[in-house]
Amino acid sequence: MTIKRREHTDWLLKQVFKGAGLITIGLLGGIFFMLIYNSFAFFVDVKPIDFFTGFQWNPENTKGKYGIAPLLVSTGLVTLGSMLIAVPLGIFTAAFLSELAHHRLKAILKPFIEMLAAIPSVAIGFLGIVLVGPGIAKLFGIANGLNALNGAVLLSVMALPTIITISEDAINAVPQTHREASLALGANKWETLFKVTLPAALPGLIAAVMLGLGRALGETMTVLMATGNASVLPTGFLDAVRTITATIAIEMGEVPYQTTHYFALFAIAVVLFLITLFINLLGEYFANRLRKFQA
Amino acid sequence: MKYYFNCLIVLLMSCSGDNDTIKIKGSDTEVNLAVQLAESFHRINPGIFVSISGGGSGLGIASLLNGTADVANSSRSINEIEIEMFQQKGSPVDSFVFAQDAIAFVVAGDLPIDSISTTDLKNILDGHYTDWTSLTPKNMPINIYGRQSNSGTHDFVRKRLGIDFTPYAKQMNGNAQILEAIKADHSGIGYVGAGYVAHRGSGEIKVLTIYNEKNEKAVSPLDASMIAAGKYYFQRPLFQYYKAGSYDKIRPFIDFEKSEEGKRIIQSAGYYPVNK
Repeated sequence: MTIKRREHTDWLLKQVFKGAGLITIGLLGGIFFMLIYNSFAFFVDVKPIDFFTGFQWNPENTKGKYGIAPLLVSTGLVTLGSMLIAVPLGIFTAAFLSELAHHRLKAILKPFIEMLAAIPSVAIGFLGIVLVGPGIAKLFGIANGLNALNGAVLLSVMALPTIITISEDAINAVPQTHREASLALGANKWETLFKVTLPAALPGLIAAVMLGLGRALGETMTVLMATGNASVLPTGFLDAVRTITATIAIEMGEVPYQTTHYFALFAIAVVLFLITLFINLLGEYFANRLRKFQA
Repeated sequence: MKYYFNCLIVLLMSCSGDNDTIKIKGSDTEVNLAVQLAESFHRINPGIFVSISGGGSGLGIASLLNGTADVANSSRSINEIEIEMFQQKGSPVDSFVFAQDAIAFVVAGDLPIDSISTTDLKNILDGHYTDWTSLTPKNMPINIYGRQSNSGTHDFVRKRLGIDFTPYAKQMNGNAQILEAIKADHSGIGYVGAGYVAHRGSGEIKVLTIYNEKNEKAVSPLDASMIAAGKYYFQRPLFQYYKAGSYDKIRPFIDFEKSEEGKRIIQSAGYYPVNK
């Protein structure tokens, strides 16, 4: 009896966990289907070629300009900028933490870095408005600091915890024998770090960067608050930009339902979804390679 | 078990029995003001409850039509189709203008310009003028600081001038952020609710007076008497629509809005009370 009962419980729990897993997949599929379904309605009204090559995003315009290029370039610019700052800083911090830092210092630094991830994005956007933005304006002698650079600086802060944590895991995973072999051949600590440890951890480092990139791409509140939101093709880091996420957040509230403009927001959401999906898959792929390498 | 069931019934009944609550829905522009009014109103009349929610002028009017609201706040006037729908339901709609909203155009204090015509504003905001040379002796690029397109203010300015905003216009999060930007930017122009600049008469910011080709006299958005006379170009009445049949129910609240206390709240929220 007891055995039967145990088996029964076992079977039941298996189903519960299976169900939980399936729900997650179902949710992802459902969201993707909803986005695609609604954006089809958009492409009935606007030719895909106009959507991808148009240089203006101005749905309020009487002619209705739905070019995704300014939004895509804006998103790209802000994300690229944030990675230029966060990648070197993140990887070197991770290298320092795992290779050089005294274990007591590490015990203090690690929790603080992880706490960085807990700061709400609104709070970071707020910093952008009152601190980083005016700072940039003063530094470059421009009238207003709400621009792509401001967004990039803030996003790099938000991507740092992800990059540091995963990079550190990757560097830690490099077998100790590699380092010992290098040192035994007469290489010093720096040579070992840059020529042996970091290259060996490369797949993991790439995974870290990809996941950090995914974080920066999808961020909404911070960029909405700190980048000026001018929907024009930016020419540099000191121009105001409007990312895809900010555009959806700004326009979804007031758009009349079931109109071309409404469906257009789904279409740009699909584009963003596909980009982040691709980047995350790439990140996962490299992370898996790292796991194989460890095994 | 039966006890719980009874409890549930009581709970459910309490949901439907809210006939003494005045339900107000509509314009997001007016929702803050409506909440302030409702709070003070409830303090004076503890027996009457007022519930406020936003969602946009269109939603407010739709809710009034299907009976889920007693009052629809609206920053635009009701249109023909909506009036027809009320008539089909056999409940004519009535309106009350409880406040006036004015939008001020501001520039930095040291920009040598005091008043501007509506035509020039049009040219600036739709991107025809990109620098100040045609309006002032200073040769500086014009930086526009506006609101995001989900803002009623943005929509009102756009429709009043009949233009499309240039995509180069920066879209800020709110009035305060626009004022801060104008303070720092000597060649910027922005628009904010008049109430936000009324109390801040500092030298860093200048409120432009506005004239159009028909009436030559430039009018300031801070001139309450001109607003009351309806002479300012960027002013709009804030409406409250209600079904004529239910006036008795909402009357205490409307009376409160007309009272001295109500006017004081309207003024401190940055709008102009309607003098009658």
